[in-house]
Amino acid sequence: MRIERRLVQRRWLPVAVPIGSLIVAFGAIAVVLLVTGHAPLPTFRRLFDAAFVADGAVTNTLISATPLAFTGLAAAVAFRMRLFNIGAEGQLYFGAIGAAGIALLLAGQSTWLIIPAMIVAGAALGAAWGAIPGVLRAFAHTNEIITSLMLNYVAALVLNYLIFDSLSYWRDTSATGQLFPQGKTLPDAAAWPTFTLGSVTVPFGFVVAIVVAAVVWVLYTRTRFGFETQVIGDSPRAARYAGMRTRRKIVAVLCLSGAIAGIGGASQDGDFRHVLDARGLQQANYGYTGIVVAALARYNPFATVLVAFLLGGLENAGYTLQGADFPSGLVGMMQGIILFAMLGGELLVRYRVVIERSGSVGAAEATT
Amino acid sequence: MRGVTKRFPGVVANDDVSLEVARGEVHALLGENGAGKTTLMNVLTGLYRPDEGEIEVGGRPVELHSPRDAIAAGIGMVHQHFRLVETLTVAENIALADRQAPFLLRGREAERQVELTAEALHMPVDPGAKIWQLSVGEQQRVEIMKAVRSGSRVLILDEPTAVLTPQEAQALFGTLRVMAAEGHSVVLITHKLHEVMEVADRVTVLRGGRSIATVRTSEVTRNELASLMVGRDVEPERRREPGEIGDVVLEARGLAARGDRGVDALRDVSLSVRAGEVLGVAGVAGNGQRELAEVLTGLRPASAGVVEVDGKRLRDGDPRAAIRAGVAHVPEDRLRTGVAPSLSIASNVVLKSYRGEVSRGPFLLLRRIAARAAELIRRYDVRGAVPHAPARLLSGGNLQKIVLAREFSSRPKALVVAAPTRGLDVGAIETVHGYLRDAAADGVAVLLVSEDLDELLTLADRIVVMYEGAIVGEVDARAASVEEIGLLMAGVA
Amino acid sequence: MNEGIVVVVLAAAVAYGTPLLFAALGELLAERSGVLNLGVEGMMLMGAVIGFLCVQHVGGSAGVALPIAVAAAAVAGGGCALILAFLVVTLRANQIVSGLALTIFAGAAGLSSYIGNDFELADDPARFSFEPLNALGLGDLPVLGPVVFEQTWLVYASWLAVAAVAFYLWRTRPGLNVRAVGESPAAADAMGIDVTLYRYLHTVAGGALAGIGGACFSLALTPQWVDGLTAGAGWIAIALVIFAFWRPDLCLVGAYVFGGLSALPLILQARGVTIAPQLFQALPYVMTILVLVLVSTGTARRRLGAPAALGIPYVREER
Repeated sequence: MRIERRLVQRRWLPVAVPIGSLIVAFGAIAVVLLVTGHAPLPTFRRLFDAAFVADGAVTNTLISATPLAFTGLAAAVAFRMRLFNIGAEGQLYFGAIGAAGIALLLAGQSTWLIIPAMIVAGAALGAAWGAIPGVLRAFAHTNEIITSLMLNYVAALVLNYLIFDSLSYWRDTSATGQLFPQGKTLPDAAAWPTFTLGSVTVPFGFVVAIVVAAVVWVLYTRTRFGFETQVIGDSPRAARYAGMRTRRKIVAVLCLSGAIAGIGGASQDGDFRHVLDARGLQQANYGYTGIVVAALARYNPFATVLVAFLLGGLENAGYTLQGADFPSGLVGMMQGIILFAMLGGELLVRYRVVIERSGSVGAAEATT
Repeated sequence: MRGVTKRFPGVVANDDVSLEVARGEVHALLGENGAGKTTLMNVLTGLYRPDEGEIEVGGRPVELHSPRDAIAAGIGMVHQHFRLVETLTVAENIALADRQAPFLLRGREAERQVELTAEALHMPVDPGAKIWQLSVGEQQRVEIMKAVRSGSRVLILDEPTAVLTPQEAQALFGTLRVMAAEGHSVVLITHKLHEVMEVADRVTVLRGGRSIATVRTSEVTRNELASLMVGRDVEPERRREPGEIGDVVLEARGLAARGDRGVDALRDVSLSVRAGEVLGVAGVAGNGQRELAEVLTGLRPASAGVVEVDGKRLRDGDPRAAIRAGVAHVPEDRLRTGVAPSLSIASNVVLKSYRGEVSRGPFLLLRRIAARAAELIRRYDVRGAVPHAPARLLSGGNLQKIVLAREFSSRPKALVVAAPTRGLDVGAIETVHGYLRDAAADGVAVLLVSEDLDELLTLADRIVVMYEGAIVGEVDARAASVEEIGLLMAGVA
Repeated sequence: MNEGIVVVVLAAAVAYGTPLLFAALGELLAERSGVLNLGVEGMMLMGAVIGFLCVQHVGGSAGVALPIAVAAAAVAGGGCALILAFLVVTLRANQIVSGLALTIFAGAAGLSSYIGNDFELADDPARFSFEPLNALGLGDLPVLGPVVFEQTWLVYASWLAVAAVAFYLWRTRPGLNVRAVGESPAAADAMGIDVTLYRYLHTVAGGALAGIGGACFSLALTPQWVDGLTAGAGWIAIALVIFAFWRPDLCLVGAYVFGGLSALPLILQARGVTIAPQLFQALPYVMTILVLVLVSTGTARRRLGAPAALGIPYVREER
C-alpha cells in the first residue's frame, strides 16, 4: 500500500470525507461503550437529546459553546499565519483577570461603561500575554508552540496566586473568603445581558463571538493585513522579498489571537461566573479544546463558531447526564475519537491510497 | 533500465526511457534542465516508483520500492542536494550508509576506516568533523565515500560539478576514473557538454523526458551532441547590441555581508550599473553572488558598505526600501522566494503592489486584482494559467514569466536578476532573454547574476567575476573569452 | 537551612522527579525520531489508571501484581502512542493537533477518567504500592542514604532507563539511525533507513515510558487513583526534554531540579515558611522558555541538537 498526492481534486470529497469520518468515529465510540457494558444507540440518543432537544438544552449548549468559540477563533486566527497558538488557555485566564479587575474598579458606574471596559481590558491583557510568544518568535525565532504552552501554566499559577495565596485585589477578603479562598463577586452592573430567541437564551458573549468571527473573516479575506498574513504563512521568504514587515505581523497576529481568547475570558466573568473563578476556569480546558474546534473547522471563522456549538452540545450533554451510568470522561473520550477520525480523514482529501500487489506494477485506486 | 515512465501531477517526467550502463565505464546522461534526468535517477535509486518499465542490475531484474532496495542492488547516488545529516560527523554519516557497520558503534575505529577510504579515493576529509562545518566540496566527497562504503557497484552523480571550482571538478573527474578502473559503473548526470567529452566513455541523451540516443564520446563532436540535446541545430543566440547607456542608477560601495552559515560571504564589493546597461556577475555557485543580489535588494543586511539608487542611499536590510526606490528583483529561488507557492496567481501578481492601486485604505479591491492578473497572464503569454489557481501548479518557465511580469510591470529603474533561466527549457530561455533585452533597451539598469557563461556573454555589456565573496576581475563582455573568465572564476588569474 | 531540610528536599526531588524522568525519556525518544507528541499527559494518565486497575484486580502478592501493573501501564501508554503514530506518521496528520487530541481523548476528562469512574477506582487505596527499600543496606548513611539508597524500585529502574537510552542513542547503530531520522528524514531514507518504522517504534516506546511515568503516581507517590492525578506532569515532561537539550543524561538532572521545585513549596509549608508556592512552581516553565530562546539560533541548534525535522511529516515523493 502506498499513499500519493491526489492529481485531481474531486469535488465531493471535502463533503463526503468528514461525514464518513464521523460515521467511523461513532462506530469506534460504540465499540468502547459496548466493551465497557453500555448500550451505544440509547447513549447516543440521550446525548443528542440532552445537547439539543430537551428543555433548555440549547441554552446550556450555548453556555458551553461560547468560550470554545473564542478559543477556537483565537487558534484559527494564528493558524492563518501557520502559527500554533496553544496559549489561548493562559490568554483566556489573563482576559478574565483583566475584565474582573476593571469591573471591580468601576463598581458603581453604569453598565454601559463597565461592559465595554471589560471587553477592552480582557482583550488587552489577553493580547499582552499573547505578545510574549509573538515577540520571542519574531525576534528570537523561538518556537511559539512550546512557549505559548509553557505560558499557560505560568498564567494558571498567576491565577492561583491572586485567589489562593495572596490578599490581592481580586480576592474576597471577608471572613469567609479568608477561610474558603474565592474571588470577589463582581458588581451587578458587570453582568452581561442575554437575548431571548423563542425558548432559547443567547448569552451576549456568544453574539460577541459571532461578531468577532465576522470581523476576522473580513480582515482575512478583504484587507491588506489579511493578505500579508496569508503570504507570510505560506512563505516567509516570499513575504520578506515582497517588502512585508514579517516580524511585526507575527507579533500582531499573536496579539490578535490572544485578544480574542482574552475576550473569551471577559465573557466568562461577565456572562457566566460573575467572579474571577480560578478553579472553574482551570478545570474547563477551554484553550486546548479550542484548538481542536479550530482544526475541525479547518480554521474557517464561521465554521469555528458552528463547530464550537456542536462540541459545546456534547460537553453540555456530558455535564447534564453525568452520573453512575454515565461516567464523566465519556465526553472527552468521544471528542478525542471524533477528532482522530477527522484528522485521519483529512488524508483522503489530499492524498489517494493506492493498493499494490507485490510483483505487479499495476495499481488500483482504493475507493473511499 | 527499459521503458521507464514516471508521471507527476500535470507532467510526464519520464516517458519510455531506456538506459544501459556497462561495468567499468563512465556513462554520461546528458540533457537540458527539465529533460527528466533527475527524475530518472530518483527512479533508479528507489526514491520514486516508476509507473511503467523495468530495471535490471547485473542481468537480474530488480524491483526498487525504496532506497534500501536500491542500495541492496548496489546502486548508490550522489544527489544534487546532499543527503547528509548535518549534525552528525563524517564517520557517522558514512556508518549510516554502511550495511556492514556493527551494532555497537566504535567511533575511533570507524574514523580510521573512513580515513583509509578517503586516501584510496584521493579525497582528503576529516572524519571527525561535523557535516555542517564542511565546505560544499568536502560534503560531496563524503557523499561519494558513503556510496562506495555501502557497497555500490553503480554510482550515480547528479550534476556534481555545479558547486565546484574547475580545479575541484578536475579532482572529482580523477576520482571517477579511478573508480571506473576498479570496475565500478559511474553515471554522470550533466548538461555541460565539455564534461561529457572530457570524462565519459559513452553518453545517453535525454530530451523532453525521452531517451534520444546513446553514442560513444569518441565518435561524436560537441556540436552533434548539442543538437541532439536540444533537438535541432543550435544556433548561438545573437549577441545583444549595446544600447544607449545613461547615468549610474544602481551603485554599491564596499559591501560586506555574512552568509547563512555565519561566515563572511561578501567582502568589499563595489560596483555600479548605468541605465540601459547589463552588468553580468559570473562565478562558481557559492562565491557570494546570491548574497550580493540579496544585499542589493535589501533581503540580506550588509555588515558594511552602502547601496545607492540614483545617488540616494537605501535603508540597509529593508526590501521595502529597495522596492520603493525602484529596484526590481528576480530571485534565484523563484518557487520559495519569488512567489508564495500555495497562494493564487492573482495574489502573486500583486505580491509587491498590493499596497498601491489595488487597495483602498486597508481594504483590497479583489476584482481589480483579478483583472490585473488576467491582463498580465495575457500580455506575458503565461500558458495554462488562471488567476485563482495556486502558483505552485505552474511549470518553471511559466512561473518565471509570472515573476518577470510582476517585476517588469512595476516600471523599475534597476533590475537585479539571479539565475533567471536555471531549469528552463530552450523556448522559455529565449523568452526570458527577450524580456531582459527589452528591459535594457527601455533604459533599465540590469544586474544579471548567472553561472551560465554563454548567457552572460550574450546579454551583458560588462562582466564582473566573483571569487570567495570578492570581485576578482572585470571584463568587457564583447572582448572577453570563456577561458579568460574561467580563470578568474577559479581564482587563479 | 539545616541539613535535615536539604535531605528532605533532595529525597523528594528524586521521588517527584522520577515520573517526570520516565515521561521525558519517552518523549525524548519520540522527538529524536522527529515526532513531537503533545499527548504525554494523556498517556501518563492512562498508565496511571491502567496500572492502578491492575494492582486492584490482579491476584497474587505485591511481587506479582506490581510488575504486572507496571507492564500494563506501559502497554496502555504505548497503545495511546500507537494511535498518535498512526495519525501522524501514516496518515500525516498535524502533530500538534493530534497530540492535543490524544490528551483530550485519554486525559483527565477522557478515557482515563471514564475507566477510573466506570470501575469506581477512586474509592479505595492501592492494594499494593512501591515502598522505599533500603538498598544494599546503605539507607542509614547520612544525606546519601535517604536520597540515593532509600528509594523505590521505580527510581532505580529510571536510572537504568537513563543509562540504556543514552547508550542506545550514542553507542548503537539503531540509535545513530534514530538521530538521523529526526534530523534529516530525507537523508536517512536515501541511506536505506525505514523512516516510518523508526518513527513508529520510538513513538510507541516513548508512550510506554510515559505510561510507566504515570504509574509512578498511582503506585508509588500517592498510591491511589483520582481524576487527573498527574496534575500537569506530562506538560512539564515536554518542557524537560527541551530543558535537557534532548539528552538523556541531562534529563536526569532536569527531572530532579523540576521535581525538587514542585516538592519544595509543600515542604516549606509544612515547616511553617510562608512563601507563595507559585513562585517555585512557575520556575520550570520559565526556565524552559529561557532555554528555548537560548537554543533558537541556528548554530546553537546545531551544537545542542534539537532534532531539525521535529514536527514535520515525511513524505518521500512530494515535490
